[in-house]
Amino acid sequence: MGGHYLLRRLVQAFLTIIAIVILNFFLFRMMPGSPERILLRNPHLTAETIAAARARWGLDDPMPVQLVKYLVATAQGDLGYSFQYRGQPVSEVIGIRFWPTIILVGIAEVIAIVAGLALGAYSGWRRGGRVDKVGNGASLILYSMPYFVIGMPLIIIFAAELGWFPTSGMLTPGMSYASPLDQLLDFLRHLVLPLVTVSLGLIGGYSILMRSSIIETRTEDYVTTARAKGLDENRIVRQHAFPNALLPTVTIIAINLGYVVAGVLTAEIIFNWPGLGTLTYQALSVRDFPVLQGVFLILSICVVFANLGADLLYGVLDPRVRS
Amino acid sequence: MTATSAAKAPTGAWGLRLRGFREFSRRFMRRRDGVVGLAILVFFTLMALFPQLFVGPLETAITASGKGLESPNLNHILGTDELGRDMLNLTIHGARVSMAIGLLATIITVLVGALIGIVSGFVGGLTDSSLMRVTDFFLVLPTFVLAIILAPIILDIVGVDAEIAGLRATLVVIVIVIGITSWASTARVIRSQTLSVKERMFVDRARVIGSGGRHIMRIHVLPNVMNLIVANTVLVFAGAVFTETTLSFIGLGDPFLPSWGQLLYAAEAAGAPGLGAWWYIAPPATCVVLVILGFTLVGNALDDLLNPKSGVRR
Repeated sequence: MGGHYLLRRLVQAFLTIIAIVILNFFLFRMMPGSPERILLRNPHLTAETIAAARARWGLDDPMPVQLVKYLVATAQGDLGYSFQYRGQPVSEVIGIRFWPTIILVGIAEVIAIVAGLALGAYSGWRRGGRVDKVGNGASLILYSMPYFVIGMPLIIIFAAELGWFPTSGMLTPGMSYASPLDQLLDFLRHLVLPLVTVSLGLIGGYSILMRSSIIETRTEDYVTTARAKGLDENRIVRQHAFPNALLPTVTIIAINLGYVVAGVLTAEIIFNWPGLGTLTYQALSVRDFPVLQGVFLILSICVVFANLGADLLYGVLDPRVRS
Repeated sequence: MTATSAAKAPTGAWGLRLRGFREFSRRFMRRRDGVVGLAILVFFTLMALFPQLFVGPLETAITASGKGLESPNLNHILGTDELGRDMLNLTIHGARVSMAIGLLATIITVLVGALIGIVSGFVGGLTDSSLMRVTDFFLVLPTFVLAIILAPIILDIVGVDAEIAGLRATLVVIVIVIGITSWASTARVIRSQTLSVKERMFVDRARVIGSGGRHIMRIHVLPNVMNLIVANTVLVFAGAVFTETTLSFIGLGDPFLPSWGQLLYAAEAAGAPGLGAWWYIAPPATCVVLVILGFTLVGNALDDLLNPKSGVRR
């Protein structure tokens, strides 16, 4: 891949993150009396902590100086102090909640991409067939469902009625485990329903995308050529149609990552999964603004990086982009 | 030619438009998915406009007609919530709130998106590149999370119980927040269409006879991207209802004017999923999914028929 292209994308991603931090700066200062009021309103902070924070953020300096100091502080991971967590630094609060969300999103993405793309490719290639009729209908319905709407019936059926899975949390509270394996099994039992929810929420959209993408390739010249060469259907799909249909799909999946995160947050809420979603929910109910802004910043950075990754992947998949 | 025969075979610009519309409706009616979507939307629009046709006035904690969390029975065919309010009553009244917020948010989104898209595509140059930088920025942002922060901040500034233009502040804030966070993709779509319209002969002609940019955008560009705006509007509506539901579900809705998302929030807060109280969840959830599905089906059908780029697919 051309070094120039790589460099340009890296600079772009960096500038986007700076812009997000600046946006955060102004959001914080839109509220009357902030961030002064937010520091003083926090009952868990000592006078020394407040004085130190005031100096670090330059609250007595003019606006431009404040902005610079804010950028520096943010770069060092200083995101302010949480209300609800007794004045604990926001970066620590988020740090604990970060991994459960990443695990949930990561595994769900893999399942949804594999299943969604396979379903979409199959139904698009056999357009109008039985799989297409059922699969596309189901995909459209899933696509119209907010994640919590998918998850709530799952809780009622599989947790409340059948009792196969726990209703909430990530581990059984107060449980002592005989071995790490037991702990892992307990974790997995808690993971199943949230995972199914998020995966189902994603599969619909991915399958619709892949379906329309593969339908477009069906009339392309290279498919006709492959058919004229006498290749069997399987090989045409796998080696000619699928890779080409994958390109636009990968881009859109990356662009939509921001929305995925939003959906996952609501899925976490109903399962009380201790990730960024429940954190956001709690922070919202007590108006814990520093935590909300921290979550926004972290998620934005994740999405920017995911986009960057997808762009680079696109370069690998499609030789034309490199030149 | 007499006046009556002229009405039967319409001529002139309006006649052309009318014939175009008839031809278009014929093509739309052949799309089964679009027709199904349209039927769903007509049903829910009636529900939103005339809830009295189906049930009495909205029940409150004081006028509740049943006991807490009754499962479906003869008096309450969809059961009751934890305050004893009839679920059928709440769900039908929820249609108006959900659809009204969706409509207002869609109007804002499409106005901002179309304006920025047309200006950016038509004016070009520095205006275009700076506007598109901002648009790309909003496309990358996890806008939903931004909405979660913006809503309480704006509420903090205006006050929760304030009224803006006769509407409750919470609802207005949700509308504005959805608008701010979702105009970007509309702007992108409209801009690319504007770029191609701009190269057409009639724009050059208009310029030669001395028309100004603003005039050309209004008289020549806008009508030619209108098709796309209409198709996009329907899809934006689906997204707006989706976002409203989600924002209400995390507690940013208005408990006094419950939308479907707000009802689901109340159900979650009352512990309905763990109690197995499916009747508290199923009615609003089904409505939300049907409405979003309806808009998506109609939007896709319109997009296929009206969008020059996706038209070839069918």
